[in-house]
Amino acid sequence: MAERMFIEGNEAIGWGAKIAGCQAFFGYPITPQNEITEWFAREFPRAGRVFVQSQSELGSINMVYGAAAAGARVMTSTSGPGWSLMQETMSHMANAELPCVVVDVQRGGPGGGPIRHAQQDYFQCTRGGGHGDYRNIVLAPASSQECCDLTQLAFYLADKYRNPVVILSDAIIGRLREIVEVREIDFGPVPNKDWAVKGKAGHKDGRRRIVEHSSDLFGRDPDYVTLLRRLSQKIRQMQESEVRYESYRMEDATLILVAFGYTARVAKEAVNLSRAQNIKAGLIRPITLWPFPYEAIREKAHQGAQFLVVEDSLGQMVEDVRFAVEGRGEVQLVSILDRHIPTDGGMILPDKVLAKILEMYAAQETKGYEPGR
Amino acid sequence: MVRPEVVINETECQGCGYCVKFCPRGCLIVTGERFTPQGYLLPSFIKPEECNTCGFCAMLCPRAAIEVYLSISQ
Amino acid sequence: MSQEGKAVIREMVAGRPKLLVPQTAAFVYCPGCHQPLVARAVAEALEELGMGDRAIGVFGIGCSSFLVGMLDIDAVNGPHGRPPDMATAIKHIYPDNLVFTVQGDGDLLSIGADPLLGALTRAEKITLIMLNNAVYGTTGGQMAPTSLLGQRTTTTPEGRDPASAGFPTHAAELIATFKGVVYSARGACNNPYNYQLTRNYIKTAFEKQMKGLGLSFVEVLSACPSNWRMSPLDSLKWIEEKMIPEFPLGEFKNTDRIE
Repeated sequence: MAERMFIEGNEAIGWGAKIAGCQAFFGYPITPQNEITEWFAREFPRAGRVFVQSQSELGSINMVYGAAAAGARVMTSTSGPGWSLMQETMSHMANAELPCVVVDVQRGGPGGGPIRHAQQDYFQCTRGGGHGDYRNIVLAPASSQECCDLTQLAFYLADKYRNPVVILSDAIIGRLREIVEVREIDFGPVPNKDWAVKGKAGHKDGRRRIVEHSSDLFGRDPDYVTLLRRLSQKIRQMQESEVRYESYRMEDATLILVAFGYTARVAKEAVNLSRAQNIKAGLIRPITLWPFPYEAIREKAHQGAQFLVVEDSLGQMVEDVRFAVEGRGEVQLVSILDRHIPTDGGMILPDKVLAKILEMYAAQETKGYEPGR
Repeated sequence: MVRPEVVINETECQGCGYCVKFCPRGCLIVTGERFTPQGYLLPSFIKPEECNTCGFCAMLCPRAAIEVYLSISQ
Repeated sequence: MSQEGKAVIREMVAGRPKLLVPQTAAFVYCPGCHQPLVARAVAEALEELGMGDRAIGVFGIGCSSFLVGMLDIDAVNGPHGRPPDMATAIKHIYPDNLVFTVQGDGDLLSIGADPLLGALTRAEKITLIMLNNAVYGTTGGQMAPTSLLGQRTTTTPEGRDPASAGFPTHAAELIATFKGVVYSARGACNNPYNYQLTRNYIKTAFEKQMKGLGLSFVEVLSACPSNWRMSPLDSLKWIEEKMIPEFPLGEFKNTDRIE
């Protein structure tokens, strides 16, 4: 049963979580995601679900740890500075193999930064963020509809892999109102949570369950390397099975833009403007920032394409694109320094992207560059 | 006839001395001649006739290595 | 020894509580450590209340974390200082379970100050148990919030000096001042009398939670012979002569109503 609503991305996350059966939300105020916390404060108690305003982001994420250990579908939401505070526990949850969903609605950084949009948390989310060897699955919505749909996907993937999943939004996607079809998506069955704690009486075999975050202290693994091997296999499985991206006007594209979140929408507009000038531009929009769509980009690099990364940071995702291109082609960047005005409200707009495309195209022409050679 | 027994698990005992200290009737002593496999000094139950099975030795043993039995024959 | 024709009944009158898991080579505590005595008190309290099947323990980092393997109940171990947060969440998910924490004094009062304040302010209906051994045990004996003035530790080699390191924190008294706290007590395990008192404090704390009244707290003065550089018997004396005068035993708050 679908319902159409005119809501902002932040709210759409709430609706997606509710449909996905999220049982508990723990949150702390921070701009620009207060609408998410307030949505849960309004909707969850009246739906008989758990909402607690914690005393800090450390509180939120550790409550998430506890509820996840109890086998509940649970999430929290924050922005950059709060996300930094959460890293120790993210690492612990990766070891304890606890499923959860964490939303980071990006704002400017580093430090306190402006409270408006940016895309500077890419590294922190996709490289693990906390200490030790682990990875988060990172989903990047580029619309309110995706905020709703990817939240449901996040809960599914979290349970499927017993791993944290991060939804990396930004202040523009979060506060932009669009029409959203709020409907349930069925992703299929997830493994049962027999490992969760709920008191011995709650287990069919009557035996106790332990959730812990070291390696070999309580007999979960015979030794440390066994644990690492298991985590490594999980990482590989996620990389092989969960890559998601959108291809826009890619059939014959030779100049490929790569962008996520709000800059992907700007990039799409720039692609359209270029096509109007007969430039064969296209866009690969990663939906999973981790696992990253290396293969899709590598394939195009082999076919001789050039790449233009558009991201609202000093350059983070561009490194993943360069890694995929393996030196076979040019990779340029339109960065946060190309915003239309220098204040915190500045954005990367299509005209700057188009100017870069034209520059790259002209250079292509001058060098007698032929794609596909 | 009533016979108390204080049974100390000899591989678990860590020789802390709490059982000896808290027996109100001095039924346990460390003779210095008996050791656990790890080398801790083992207490000996030397006065069964004084024991009233109060259970303090078992209660204060951090290893829960002590069991107190009461045998009654009719 | 049975005489011919007479029956002999041999009964165990004192021994390991059922909820205390038999330890083999995995036992990690130093000789004379009071951590396993607190585990015993918790096990006995749970057994008396019949709550072993509905208990969920959340254990801190440090020597308390090993209690995960000692009690035959569902257990969770998470980051340093965070048990009050984890316990809060678990209690919200399973309000009919008995959710309690066992932490050291550093785990609760130092790095755990944030979660502690949060749980106290929100009056979460959980039970917190804190072992006070006046040092950070697992890491080798550094100064802790409850270290005594003049006490030599590895980070206060000249003795704790209030000018640079402040004063010992009195958790039971502090926690008793919060409105949402219905029970706050301090016990010790340095003799059979105090052990039984402490076990009763823990049982009362659990009962407060079972009645859904509010947050309950028990602090237990615990010997740490290794880090105090003493024999177990001398560490009992240190509790009596040095710790109890600074940290008096007793119930600081015991109420059945929030007031």
